Amino acid sequence: MRNKFALAILFLVTAGLAAVGVRCFYLQYFEAGYYDGISVKAQKSNFLERPRRGAILDRRGRILAASYKVDTLFAEPRAITDIKKTAQELSTVIGIGPIEISKLILTGRNQGYIPIITDAKLTDEQRKQILKIDGIGIESGWKRYYPLGSAAAHAIGFVGTDQEGLAGLELKYNKEISGSCGRSIFFSDAARRPVRLGRFESFAEDGSDIITTIDATIQEFTHSALLKQFKAFQAESAVALVMDPCNGEILSMVSLPDFDPINLKDADAKSLGNHILSDPYEPGSIFKPMVAAWALETGSINPNDSIFCENGHYSGKGFGTIGEYREGGYGTLTISEILSHSSNIGMAKIGQRMGAAKLYEGVKLFGFGRKTGIDLLGEEPGLVRDLKKWNGYSVARVPFGHEVSVTSMQMACAYCTIANGGRVIKPHLVKAVVYNGGKKVEITEPAQTSSFVISNKTAQWLVSKAMVEVVKNGTGKSAALENWQVWGKTGTANIVNPNGTYDEENYVASFIGGAPVDNPAVVVTVSIRKPNKHLGKGYAGGAVAAPVAAEILDKTLTYLKVEKLKKEE
Amino acid sequence: MKLSLSGKTIGNMTACLAVTLMALGVVFVFSASAKIDVEYDLAKFYSYPEFRQAVFFLISILILFGLSLINYRILAFKSGNWKGWIPNPAVWLVFVSIILLVMVLIPGIGVEINYARRWLRIPLGPASINFQPSELAKWSLVLFIPAVSALLGEKIKRFKNFAILCVVIGLIAGLIVIEDFGTAFFVAFVSFVILFIAGAKWWHFLTPLPILAILFTLAIITSPERRERIKTFINPDSSTAQTSGYQVKQSLIAISTGRILGKGLGGGISKYGHLPEDTTDFIFAIIAEELGFVGVCFVILLFIFFLVLGVIIIGRCKDDFGKLLAFGIVLAITSQAVMNLGVVTRLLPTKGIALPFISAGGTHLFLTAAAVGILVSIAGRAEDA
Repeated sequence: MRNKFALAILFLVTAGLAAVGVRCFYLQYFEAGYYDGISVKAQKSNFLERPRRGAILDRRGRILAASYKVDTLFAEPRAITDIKKTAQELSTVIGIGPIEISKLILTGRNQGYIPIITDAKLTDEQRKQILKIDGIGIESGWKRYYPLGSAAAHAIGFVGTDQEGLAGLELKYNKEISGSCGRSIFFSDAARRPVRLGRFESFAEDGSDIITTIDATIQEFTHSALLKQFKAFQAESAVALVMDPCNGEILSMVSLPDFDPINLKDADAKSLGNHILSDPYEPGSIFKPMVAAWALETGSINPNDSIFCENGHYSGKGFGTIGEYREGGYGTLTISEILSHSSNIGMAKIGQRMGAAKLYEGVKLFGFGRKTGIDLLGEEPGLVRDLKKWNGYSVARVPFGHEVSVTSMQMACAYCTIANGGRVIKPHLVKAVVYNGGKKVEITEPAQTSSFVISNKTAQWLVSKAMVEVVKNGTGKSAALENWQVWGKTGTANIVNPNGTYDEENYVASFIGGAPVDNPAVVVTVSIRKPNKHLGKGYAGGAVAAPVAAEILDKTLTYLKVEKLKKEE
Repeated sequence: MKLSLSGKTIGNMTACLAVTLMALGVVFVFSASAKIDVEYDLAKFYSYPEFRQAVFFLISILILFGLSLINYRILAFKSGNWKGWIPNPAVWLVFVSIILLVMVLIPGIGVEINYARRWLRIPLGPASINFQPSELAKWSLVLFIPAVSALLGEKIKRFKNFAILCVVIGLIAGLIVIEDFGTAFFVAFVSFVILFIAGAKWWHFLTPLPILAILFTLAIITSPERRERIKTFINPDSSTAQTSGYQVKQSLIAISTGRILGKGLGGGISKYGHLPEDTTDFIFAIIAEELGFVGVCFVILLFIFFLVLGVIIIGRCKDDFGKLLAFGIVLAITSQAVMNLGVVTRLLPTKGIALPFISAGGTHLFLTAAAVGILVSIAGRAEDA
C-alpha cells in the first residue's frame, strides 16, 4: 500500500480542481467581454416596435389616410433545423400546404427573413401555436389605408413598404406623421424566441395626426367631374383645384392621370407627378385678367377705355403679327369686352401701353416666376424671363399669356388674389398638426399677409364686371350656373414644342373662376391638357374646362350652403 | 490544538456534503431544464427530467444512508478461500456489469441517445429509467480491485496476479470503449491507479500500457467523431454548429458571460437551446453562468472539501482494504469531476462524462450515492477493528 502516492495523486486532483478555478476566473474576468461579443449574435435580438403612423384628416376630421395593424408571418431559415417538420407544423395551423411552405423557405434569398403570409389575420390561439414552432415568427406591422383611393392621391401621396412617406403630404410631413420606433434588446433562445428583456431603450411613439384643408366631399366632386371630362376628351393630363380665396386653403386638388396609393406596382410612372405643381405651361388667355388688373391699377388704362382691336390682324415692327382666335377678329372693344371675348390684340395693346417694366413688375407681383410655397414638395417655379431679355414681342405677348410659363398653382393663387380683393395669399394644405393624441396642437396655417397687389376697387371691377361678363356673354358661358353668378376666364393655350414653336394641334384648355361675385366662396381652377381635337367636341377652354368648373362649383356651393341668388320673378 | 473528530462525525460530514452537492444538482438541473412556453402537465410527472432528478435525489439519500449502515467489510474477500468469493457483491457486480455491457451493444436492447448506444431502458411503470451499464462497471471495478488487492496482499507484486486483474480491467474497458471512449479511458485510469496504490510493481504497468495505448489510438482513429473532437480541441475556431467545438464554444460563452457574480439563479440564457447537454455534461457551465465566479468557487470548494474528508477517512482507516476502497471511491468521484470541469472549460478535449452529484441522470446519481454511502461506512468504522 503506497500511502504517500495516494496522497500525491489526490493532491494532483486538488490541483486540477484549482486549475479549473483559475481557468474560470480567467474566462469570467478577462474574457467576459470577448465572449459577450460572440454571444450577441445568437443570444440577443433587437426588438423594434413600429409606431402607428399618424392619420391624415380632412378639414372636418374625416380620414384621408390612416394606418392599421397587420401581422406578417415569417420564417427564419437559419434558425430552422428541420424544414419538413417546421413546414408540417405550420401547415396545420395556417392551412397552407407544407410543400408550398417548404418551397418558400428553400427558395428565399434572405436566410434571416422570409415572409410567408404578409397580411395575416391571426387568432390568439393560432398566434400561440405558431410561436411554438422553431424558426417561425410573427411580426406586427402597419399598413396604410386611403379611403378616397386615387381621388386624393396626389395631395396625400403615398408611403413605401417601410411605411415612410414618399410623396405628397405623406412625404412633406413625414417627420411629424411617422413617429418613432420603440427599441429594446431581448435575450433570445436558439430559435430566436424572446426569453426576457435585455435592455430597454424606448417606447414606440405614435406619429402625429395632421388636419388638412382638404374637404373629402369636395375632393370627390372635383375628382369625378374632372375624370369624366378627362376621359370624354381623351386628354393627356388634367388638373383641378378648389381653393378658398380668402386664406389660400386648398379644398381639393386633383391631378390626372392618377394612381392607386396602395397599389403602386401597377401605377404608370407618368401618373405619379402632380401636374398642378410640376408641370409649368404657357397659360394663354387665363393670364389676361392679371395683366388687365395691373394695367388698371397702374393707371395705364381706365375701365371705361375702348381699344380698337384691328379686326383680327395686328402687326408692326418689333412685335410681329398677332391674330385672334375668332375669324375676323373684333373692332373696338371695351376693356371688359377684351376680357370677355378674350381678344389677344386688345391685350397686346394694353401691354404696349404699360410698357415692359410695368408689365414685368405686375407679373412678378402676382407671384409668377417663383414658387408659391405650398406645403408639398416638387413645386416648379415656372418661368418669367428677366426684364433685360424682354423685347417688343414680349410686351405684346405676355399680356395674353405667351412667353411665360406658369403652374396651375400659381394661376389659382393669382385668381385668389383678384377674388379676395387684391390680397396675396399663401396656398397650403395643412391646418394643424395634432401631437400626442391631441395633447398638443400646433396650428401650421401660414400667416396671411395683408399686402395688396391691386386695390379692392380694381379687384371688384374685374370680378363683377369683366369676369362676370365672360360667363354671361363671353367665352365662358358654359360655366354659368342657375343658382349662383359665376365669374371666371377661359383659356385655350398653345403648347410650346420642345423646339420653341407652337404645336398647332394641341392645346391646354382652361377655366379659372369662382362664385359668388361678392365674397367668393371658392376659386376653381380647371386645366385639361391636349383634349382630343378630332373628337369634334371642341378643344377650347370654354368647351372643355368651363363645364367641369361649373359642375364643381355647383356641387361645392350647394355643399357649402352658399346663399343662392334670389330668383327674379 | 488538535481538532479531534470522531469517525462518525467525519462520515456524517461526508454524507452531508454529498447531499449538498446533489441538492445543488437538483436546483441546477431544474434551472437548466427551463424552456420557453413550457406548461407542466403534472400528470406526466416522470416525463420531465427536472422532476425525475428530484425523485432521484430522494432515492439517492436513502441509498446513501442505507449503505452507510452496512459494514463495508462484507465487500472484502475471506482470505485464502476462493469459495468465499461466490457470495461477494463485488464479484457479482463485475459479472453483471460484463453481461449488461454486452447486452447494451445488441441493437434493440440498448437504447441509442445522441448516436451512442450506452443505455438500457428499465421500464418502471411511468418512470422508466435509462440505465447506463458503464457506470455500474466503473463502480464494480472500484469495489473489486481493492478487494482482490487486499486479499492478495504482498502477492500482488507477482506478475501473474497483476495480469489476471489486467484482463478483467481490459475486458470491461474494451467493452465500454466501443460506445464510450471517455468512460472507458476513465475506468482504465482509475483501475490502474488503484492497482498501483495497492502495491503492484510499477514496471508491471509497462506491459499493458502499450496494448492500451494502441487500443485507444485505434479507437480515436476509427471514429471520425473523436478525431473531430481532438481537432476542435486543438483548433477551436474551425467548429460549426454540428460539431463538438460548437458545444464547447457555447460552454465558454455561458461561463464567461456569467462574469464574477453571475446572471442570477435561473437568469442564464445559454440553457435556452444554445448550449446542448446543459442538464447533463455541461451543467457546470450553467452554474458558472448563473452564479458567476462565486458559484464556481463554491462548487470547486465543495469538491475540495470532499477530497479533504476523503483523505482523512483514508488516513484513519486501519485496514488496507478500507483504505484502498476509500481511495478508489474518492479518486473516482473527484477525478471525474476534474475531467468534467476540464472539458467544460476547454482544458481537456470533449468527452461525454458527467459531473458527479450534479449532472442529471439516475444511474450516475444512485451509484455515486451508493459509493459515498460505502465511504461513510468506512469512516464510521475507523475506530473498531
